Amino acid sequence: MSNAVRQRLLNGGRSTYAVALVVALVLLVAPFVLGTFQTSLLIEVLLFGIFATAFNLLYGYTGLLSFGHAMFVAVAAYAAAKVFRSVAPALGFPDLFGGTSVLATFVLAVVVGVAVATVLGVLVGYLSVQLEEIYFAMITLSFSMAIWVFVNQDIGDSLGIGVLSTNGSDGLTIPYQALGEVNLFGLKFTFMNIANYTAYYFVVLLLFVGSMYALWRIVRSPFGTTCKAIRENPERARALGIDVTYHSWMTFIVSGAFAGLVGTLLAPLHSNVNPGIAYWTFSAEPVIMTVIGGPYAFIGPLLGAAVYEYLRWFISQFQVLEAHWQFFFGAILLLVVLFFNNGLAGFLAWLRETVADRLGPDAAADSGPDEAN
Amino acid sequence: MPTDSNGRSNGVNRRNFLAGVGAGAVASSLAGCIGGLGGGGGPIKIGAVFLLSGIAESLGRSSQAGAKLGVKDVNDAGGIDGRDVEIIFRDHEADPATANKQFKSLVQEENVDAMIGLTSSGVTLATAPTVEQLGVPMILTDIGTPYITEFNYDKFGDFYNDDNGKAAGKKNIFRTNANTSTNTYAMAKFAKEKLDGIERVANIGPDYAYGHQCWEYFKAYSKGMGSNYEFVESTFPSLGASDMTPQINKVLDADPDLVFTSFWAGDAVTFVQQATAQGLFDKVSDVFDTLGADPTVFKALGSSMPEGYHYSSWYWHSAYDNQNNTSFLDAFKKQYEGDPDTVNIPSFTGPSTYSAIWLYKQAIEAADGSTKPDDVISQLEGMSYEKDPRGPITISADSHQANAPTVIGSTSTGDDVPYDGVGLKPSYSYSMDRSTAVDLLQGSGLPPGV
Repeated sequence: MSNAVRQRLLNGGRSTYAVALVVALVLLVAPFVLGTFQTSLLIEVLLFGIFATAFNLLYGYTGLLSFGHAMFVAVAAYAAAKVFRSVAPALGFPDLFGGTSVLATFVLAVVVGVAVATVLGVLVGYLSVQLEEIYFAMITLSFSMAIWVFVNQDIGDSLGIGVLSTNGSDGLTIPYQALGEVNLFGLKFTFMNIANYTAYYFVVLLLFVGSMYALWRIVRSPFGTTCKAIRENPERARALGIDVTYHSWMTFIVSGAFAGLVGTLLAPLHSNVNPGIAYWTFSAEPVIMTVIGGPYAFIGPLLGAAVYEYLRWFISQFQVLEAHWQFFFGAILLLVVLFFNNGLAGFLAWLRETVADRLGPDAAADSGPDEAN
Repeated sequence: MPTDSNGRSNGVNRRNFLAGVGAGAVASSLAGCIGGLGGGGGPIKIGAVFLLSGIAESLGRSSQAGAKLGVKDVNDAGGIDGRDVEIIFRDHEADPATANKQFKSLVQEENVDAMIGLTSSGVTLATAPTVEQLGVPMILTDIGTPYITEFNYDKFGDFYNDDNGKAAGKKNIFRTNANTSTNTYAMAKFAKEKLDGIERVANIGPDYAYGHQCWEYFKAYSKGMGSNYEFVESTFPSLGASDMTPQINKVLDADPDLVFTSFWAGDAVTFVQQATAQGLFDKVSDVFDTLGADPTVFKALGSSMPEGYHYSSWYWHSAYDNQNNTSFLDAFKKQYEGDPDTVNIPSFTGPSTYSAIWLYKQAIEAADGSTKPDDVISQLEGMSYEKDPRGPITISADSHQANAPTVIGSTSTGDDVPYDGVGLKPSYSYSMDRSTAVDLLQGSGLPPGV
């Protein structure tokens, strides 16, 4: 093997850059080459990627396993649904904005959803960060299930608070007319409908890039380093003067806000917001995705989300596997947990190192900055 | 930007770039293949989405059994318009988002010509807008909620857009099983005509839309028939609850004559076991269950199911004495003999799912082989199917609901069943039409859904 190739493989920086460029190209071109269904699947992967990465901000980086992250997605999704169904028409958006009312409603839905999720993060977070380890997981699970009971039994309606009514187990449906045609200064397009996700895909892609970049900057900042310190040894962090409780609280709020953003974007995609999105099994999804992808790498949860969604899709293509999909899914998860150190991201890093080793023991440079340290 | 050891930043060199473009091109073209190529001619594909995992798994699998038999028999009879029928099963996992994903995958990736489905009323209502947008005809075979076949939007409001709207009928959604409306009508009628001394009625059912809806409809029909019951208690353990004793005790405290329940599958088993332990069956005159007459439930309970109580469902094998039912039962037994997963007699979704495949055959052939949704839908509207095991059925052109009957019968070991346990004997079949329903439901605000 030539020196140039060896150098290229060892110098992680360049190949990472190349991979990123390929991925960016693929993502930009995707909706035009993938069919409708695959585009909607890719949108889900991107959204779950943000969700899992936000979750991992608490778990992989701060060492706090939240088993109730569904609550942020749920409150934001319900808030967004309400904006689409009742708030925007009540405020007269169709008349106010005319051709761009769909976009205006969407923007309002996102803003309201994220705001509601952030407020929830402030309140629930304050109480949750007083506890550690398993108790933290239990209290987040409890809050999340309490919210599930609230939406499933339509307690808002029972209490007579119209704005909090949730239509119980049937959920709230966003009429597809509310997501229809947009006329933006003469540019006409469909925002989202069942046969055409292109516009929505690009909106989600934009928010995806923005969110992932924001989360990347957060973990690569002093804030992020403090999180890692708390993960490694909370007592020592306290001894250094870090207010562990306060810092965990701030991390919780940030994590919740991004999860809320995902909720507002999932609501139109699913077109129906129902209590399932607040149930603990939905909270388990980012956990599983993070475990598959690797909690100690930034890209881990995103990889895990992609594997989770595409694996589920792959299994559904084969009747034999689909009939017992939970078994196959569980078996794969078991393999990952048992044999991979740090999930898929760890496997890729190990692969890169092994290949680099094989190319020559005198390769002194290490394979790029190690992301989790 | 990453830098090398000299501190200069590294760009992307030409080899990296070309390798990247190559990989990207391969990935895109692969994805393009996945994107789905249309196909004309060839087999007629039907997408079947049922709940194949979780608490309602037995219901989904029963539907699957009926569907598989239907496809086999249709193919043996020459297929649809000479083309073989291929059926693709997917699991909707009790989650509308998954159900939506499966529908989209079936229609946009697999290019199915028609769909059958569903096991959960909640999922049905939540995903009906998606099904409507996808356009292909969908026949529901195991869904209770009357709302999905209610077309009078003016009177009852739009379920999706109006607060408290109850009409959710869609132009491409049909149903072959008798729904909750007919089922509770039958139970109310049976109670009025055949039971004596019923004054106090209590309810216990699963805590979700179906459980609540069954109770509302039963009360409305009873009132409409002039039954004058006192509704003394209503309690709802959670769906899939393993402990119903608090709710059972509440019901016992209210001292009812008749206990109305709406459990199915695992919940029905749990209820009977725990109610027997609490002595409920001895303390009341009768117990109803909207979907309790299910071979898997009776098999699971075995001899612990008390006899003489009146259980219902949308079909019971010995309730219909006609040639079509006999052939259907024979074919079912032959197909599933020795299959450990299926009880040898079809459950309550058997005939509705079986007939759905035949209905598609009839409709597509009547449309001269066209599988265009509009053609198939216009054929299905008003279509009669003579060979349904439950007797001839007709699909209403307005509501898209088949005028299928429902069964209520007395639990008894005298029925000939292929497992150790009870069946129904005697059993009664009830039908209902829209004008009767509208009449009886006057003032309740509930839509007839037929």
